[in-house]
Amino acid sequence: MPLWFARGLRRGVVTTRYPARPDSSSAFLPTPPAFRPGQLTRETADRMVAACPSGALRRQGDVLVFDPGACTACGRCAAVAPRAVTWSGEWELAATTRSALVKEIPILGEEL
Amino acid sequence: MNPALGDARRGPTADPAGRDEAAAARQLRDKIAAQFGRSLHIRTLDTGSCAVCEQEIRLLTAPHYDLHRLGFFFTPAPRHADLLLVTGPMVRAFDVAARKTYEAMPGPKVVVATGACALGGVYPADPFVHGQVSNVLPVDVWIPGCPPSPLALLHGLGVAVGRLAEKTPGLTFIADEDPYGGEA
Repeated sequence: MPLWFARGLRRGVVTTRYPARPDSSSAFLPTPPAFRPGQLTRETADRMVAACPSGALRRQGDVLVFDPGACTACGRCAAVAPRAVTWSGEWELAATTRSALVKEIPILGEEL
Repeated sequence: MNPALGDARRGPTADPAGRDEAAAARQLRDKIAAQFGRSLHIRTLDTGSCAVCEQEIRLLTAPHYDLHRLGFFFTPAPRHADLLLVTGPMVRAFDVAARKTYEAMPGPKVVVATGACALGGVYPADPFVHGQVSNVLPVDVWIPGCPPSPLALLHGLGVAVGRLAEKTPGLTFIADEDPYGGEA
């Protein structure tokens, strides 16, 4: 307690309004996936859509539509297509419009 | 009152015919932020969630996150609440309670949908659940995550009162190419 008091006097502030530094735990949070368009083919996209348990993925032609709002960060898309999927590391995802949470990923990979 | 002066003071947005809905929403949001900015009372509403969102909400009051320093408080009564923090996929059995809670809140009020269930991810609409909160209540802020971490909730509350900027419109969820190269 005296240490906190001295530190507060020295810095002028005891707390910050919002975490000024990234929280130490934020590196370990499960986050929605990020996709590599060059590794995505229609076939891998369809496999990921089939593996997604929460309906966060769907394919429209050559576009993979990803809804991080519906994503539970379970990692099943990464399990079926490890090359095409990585973790985004984004967790500050609050949005004031629902449509801002729906992202379109182009499918650029060539069919084998 | 001089009508010309009144018109000049109120500006073009006062004209009901030419009133821009988006501008009105922005003004209302600014007003809410100004009024709620430093003292916001939160009522949580569990509409059939698995309680992990509640665990994370509870952690906001723990010393590490210390929600109260930011001027946010939890209240047990919807009549004292400014913000409704809704979790779960809106179970239909909860319709009456959800409606009564929302109606009991004094305006202006903010509804925040929390977690993948509330955003329509996990349960599709069926005879038992509405599937997402926005099918029933007018949602103002969406907080994704399964569950959203306490930090994500803090960010969402900051966005709800206009203290923090939302990041989502700038995100693409497109990663750089595979550093190892090679075939897919």
